[in-house]
Amino acid sequence: MPNSKTSKDKKYVKLPWFGIPRLMPFLKPYLPKMAMMIFLGSMVSMVDSFIPLFNRYALNNFIAKGTTKGIGYFALIYATVLIVKLVMDFISANTCGEIEMSIDRDLRNAAFNHLQELSFSYFNQNNVGYIHARVMSDTGKIGVMCAWRLMDIVWNGSYILFVLIVMLAVNVRLAMYILMLIPIAIVLVIYFQRHLIILNRHIRELNSTITGNFNEGITGAKAIKTLVIEDRIQNDFRKDTENYRKNAVHATHFSAMFSASVTMLSSCALALVLWRGGKITMEGVMEIGTLSIFLSYALGILEPIQNIIVTISDLIAVQVNVERLTRLLGTESDVADSPEVIEKYGDTFNPKKENWEELIGDVEFKDVSFHYPDGKEYVLEHFNLKVPQGTNVAIVGETGAGKSTLVNLVCRFFEPTSGEVLIDGRNAKERSQLWLHSNIGYVLQTPHLFSGSVRENLKYGNPDATDDKIWDALKLVSADKIVERMDNGLDSDVGEGGDMLSTGEKQLLSFARAILADPRILVLDEATSSIDTVTEKAIQDAISVVIKGRTSFMIAHRLSTVVDADVILVVKDGKIIERGTHKELMKNVGGYYHQLFSRQFEEMEAKAI
Amino acid sequence: MKTTKEQFPTKLSLVLFFLRGSKALFFAGILFSMAVAFLDMVNPKIIQYTVDYLIGDSESVMPFYMQMLINLTGGKDYLKGHIFVIALIVVLIALVCAAFRYLNKLFNSMAAEKLICRMRDILFEHICHLPFSWHGENHTGDIIQRCTSDVETIKVFLSEQLTALFRIVIMIGLGIYFMFQIDLKLSLLSAAFIPIIVLYSLFFHNKIGSAFEHADVEEGKLSAIAQENLTGVRVVRAFGREKFERERFEAKNKDYTKMWINLMRLLAAFWTSNDMISGMQGMTMLVMGSIFCVNGSITVGELIAFVSYNAMISWPVRVLGRVISEMSKAGVSIDRLRYIMNSEVEKDKEGAIEPPLDKDIEFKDVSFSYNNGQAEILKDVSFTVKAGETVGVLGGTGSGKSTLMYLLDRLYNLPEDGGSITIGGVDIRDMKMDYLRENIGLVLQEPFLFSRTLYENIGITNKSAGIEDIRKAARMASLDETIKSFDDGYDTFVGERGVTLSGGQKQRTAIAQMLVSEPPIMVFDDSLSAVDTETDAKIRAALDMHVGRATTIIISHRITTLMHADHIIVLSHGKVAEEGTHEELLAKSGLYRRIYDIQIQGGGEDIA
Repeated sequence: MPNSKTSKDKKYVKLPWFGIPRLMPFLKPYLPKMAMMIFLGSMVSMVDSFIPLFNRYALNNFIAKGTTKGIGYFALIYATVLIVKLVMDFISANTCGEIEMSIDRDLRNAAFNHLQELSFSYFNQNNVGYIHARVMSDTGKIGVMCAWRLMDIVWNGSYILFVLIVMLAVNVRLAMYILMLIPIAIVLVIYFQRHLIILNRHIRELNSTITGNFNEGITGAKAIKTLVIEDRIQNDFRKDTENYRKNAVHATHFSAMFSASVTMLSSCALALVLWRGGKITMEGVMEIGTLSIFLSYALGILEPIQNIIVTISDLIAVQVNVERLTRLLGTESDVADSPEVIEKYGDTFNPKKENWEELIGDVEFKDVSFHYPDGKEYVLEHFNLKVPQGTNVAIVGETGAGKSTLVNLVCRFFEPTSGEVLIDGRNAKERSQLWLHSNIGYVLQTPHLFSGSVRENLKYGNPDATDDKIWDALKLVSADKIVERMDNGLDSDVGEGGDMLSTGEKQLLSFARAILADPRILVLDEATSSIDTVTEKAIQDAISVVIKGRTSFMIAHRLSTVVDADVILVVKDGKIIERGTHKELMKNVGGYYHQLFSRQFEEMEAKAI
Repeated sequence: MKTTKEQFPTKLSLVLFFLRGSKALFFAGILFSMAVAFLDMVNPKIIQYTVDYLIGDSESVMPFYMQMLINLTGGKDYLKGHIFVIALIVVLIALVCAAFRYLNKLFNSMAAEKLICRMRDILFEHICHLPFSWHGENHTGDIIQRCTSDVETIKVFLSEQLTALFRIVIMIGLGIYFMFQIDLKLSLLSAAFIPIIVLYSLFFHNKIGSAFEHADVEEGKLSAIAQENLTGVRVVRAFGREKFERERFEAKNKDYTKMWINLMRLLAAFWTSNDMISGMQGMTMLVMGSIFCVNGSITVGELIAFVSYNAMISWPVRVLGRVISEMSKAGVSIDRLRYIMNSEVEKDKEGAIEPPLDKDIEFKDVSFSYNNGQAEILKDVSFTVKAGETVGVLGGTGSGKSTLMYLLDRLYNLPEDGGSITIGGVDIRDMKMDYLRENIGLVLQEPFLFSRTLYENIGITNKSAGIEDIRKAARMASLDETIKSFDDGYDTFVGERGVTLSGGQKQRTAIAQMLVSEPPIMVFDDSLSAVDTETDAKIRAALDMHVGRATTIIISHRITTLMHADHIIVLSHGKVAEEGTHEELLAKSGLYRRIYDIQIQGGGEDIA
């Protein structure tokens, strides 16, 4: 199979309306809540922008007039306003959190569920880390965008709006002075923000390089020690950390300039109000309370402007995530059940088991041609093979010769480019994938266990298996001793990905798992390559018991394991070049199989005699 | 930089060690931050005097510095006519303040980055020199987390939280000082709110801290389900368990979401209520201030200034609780790093030597167990590998064959009472470790490739190796053809961010890597297991031709790989079960014979 490569994404993505239309189906259920959140949020901002008016009232009505009459009511109204604000503020913030997490959850479910139905070509073209980030991190970022970033815009936007209204209502001339400063602020913020985004992205990249270095230094400790390259690795590491340091300081230089200039501008606004406002107050044209609210607004209006621009640049950055996630959700599976099949047999999540026929195990390749979706070269051309129920097919050939191809087709992980694969005489496409998969047992080259107990893992293919049956399966593959040795028997934890067990042990367990599923078709993918000879012998004995009566496909490394197979397919450079039983193939002296086989045994014989 | 052998008995000692070289910068940063806080406090004063003396007509006494400032700028009457001078002063102060603010941030960042750079370098180097047994005892993910997020926590603690604490304390202090200057009673009233707000926030943040940790754990679990589903996609599909996976994920996702919604409700309740307490404080000050002002105890300008000061310290007061509670977390991170830094690094014995290694290797009564008290992996293993010979080691899973090689390469140190391993009669424990390892080319069963090009990977031990040396090694490892078939040839990038190689390709790369340095002792620890028999034979033939002189140990469970060896050791359950040549062992009809029969079985009838 071709090597999978990391998919590269464009750094900048521009979507119409920040990609919101694409997310509409996910936003829809929350639109009423969003509307409420927006309304209450802007009300909160309105209250915030009106608070200085209380100062003005106090200065103009109590102090200027030298009376405290009515100050009790004043305090009461002030307090009431604060309490109303608290309630609105709480409801809108709480709703916002709810919306964020709900959208987040829905997106995660959608992505995860979609992945369960995507075909293998997708998994071959995109590595696990990449796909995982789509499910776990893109969704989170989009959730934050749809809730908190929106809320930021509402809060800051309506605050600016209400402050402008109040200023214009109170004193147009003075308001104009502050208005003059706003465009300067906007230009300033955009200039700095642009640079900072680029600088910060670079820094994040450098940071992940360093994390990668740590990872390499720790997971590769054995290699580093045996190669004695500590110094070299350390020098490279030091170059990276130094590079990071320089870039980080440079970025701070920019952000420090940024915040210094914004506060500088605030002070200019203050000075302007003090100068012009002071003058007209002195002349008696304006009351002192009015001057005081302008002083607070002058200091307070620039921050929301800065916030809005920063928020917008966040929104721009999130578009990449929106694009990636919606692309995943929009990817169609190469292997999909037709509507008619789904109608009859149910889909992946809602199978109609009552309509499922029993699978007998006759497999036939009929004029099958195939190339991988990401390759152009045909690996099978007009291939025909009948595998009657109970036949044991062995596939041999060099590493990387493409031995998995046939198995991928039998399992319907891929579909033939042309021709058809028949299961029990009917095209595999006529029945659902789940029907087929429920009848297949699979032991992988690299065994994969899920974190959890031994029992949970073994029952994976057969949730109803009793402990007795589990032990029977374990005994069959001589894995019973492994489990007996563990502290909690079947309840022992296998660790993440089964990392508490050795590769050999994992393989034995995954073998028992496949047997428990009692499949009609068994696939063994180089299952015995990293088990020592004695254990392997035990497994092989078990295999011969298990494959009896089942159709099986075995991808084997060692030729001694395939001698008894009913059909041996010899693969070279991705193509099947010879086929037959061991005896038939050995008759073809000078043939590829004969060569492979002889080499392995000649060596031994030469020595043995 | 040499790896430190210092021990750090306290948190402070480690922090001070990390702070070497950045303390002065931090100090400069803090100085400027104090200056900024002070200048920020001047504006309300200016407004106060502008309102009282210029706009109003107060005649009360001014502090001497204000008087001085007024005289300096032309006197009260001049200023009354030219109020823009005040505006100019405000702008001038702002300019100085902006410069200080910039310097504060710059110095602080220079310090912080110097600190984190030093922390990372020190940790990385220390980890590189920790014995391999340490790596075995500690989880990779955990160590990486210590080196990334704990390092970040400490950086934030020193460069943000600690400096923020300084700034907050200074701002509150100055604010209260100016407020007290205006009016004692009013100030006491305002100050009374401070402990309430700080304690409320402190209480809340301590409480919610554990909820956040819990949320992190839950997120880790959800993430692990997704991760396992993706890596195990073949298993999921082959067993038709998509529905089960979906239900499991959705259930966990639901719980996780619910937990976060609750957590956010708490946060929303806290922030909004805290906001209201501050608002109430502001209101109280305004109402009481107005009453005081009407009574004549304070002037209008003073009231405006007082309200400004009160507003200015309101934010620092609200943040104080959070900063204090977050700072307490740094202690845990420091201890987590202290654990790494206090772990002892590998070191040579005093007077360690570098004897010639092209001599006989002798294992004598070697006994070993990984953990004290645990079952012995090796029991009294004795055998000799003659210089220039090839010795094969056969053994089942857990027979101790890899352990034997780790002991030879001193990845684990043989305890004093565990027998001895000597080369040319010199105990390897008396040799320089790096020298020993450089001269033993150990090819691991699961080779590790660095995220570099193939060229760099193969030549990683030998900087002076040219392309021809590297190609020669690759040819011997049957790798040259494969590499040439890649688009970028030897410049192909491998590892996490590059092309994924198959197990066999990785093993062959590791063999080439070892061959480049031409060590006198070569060890293949089952390092051909993922290579098919044909290539295996090719590689062995190439090795026989080119490096006949090197002492070679080959570990395998493939008879074909071992049978050409001059001498074969059969290990079983940590003991030498049999030894001899291939012929001798076959004649013995012991374990070797049995394995041989199993491996040859089936083919026997056709060939024999």
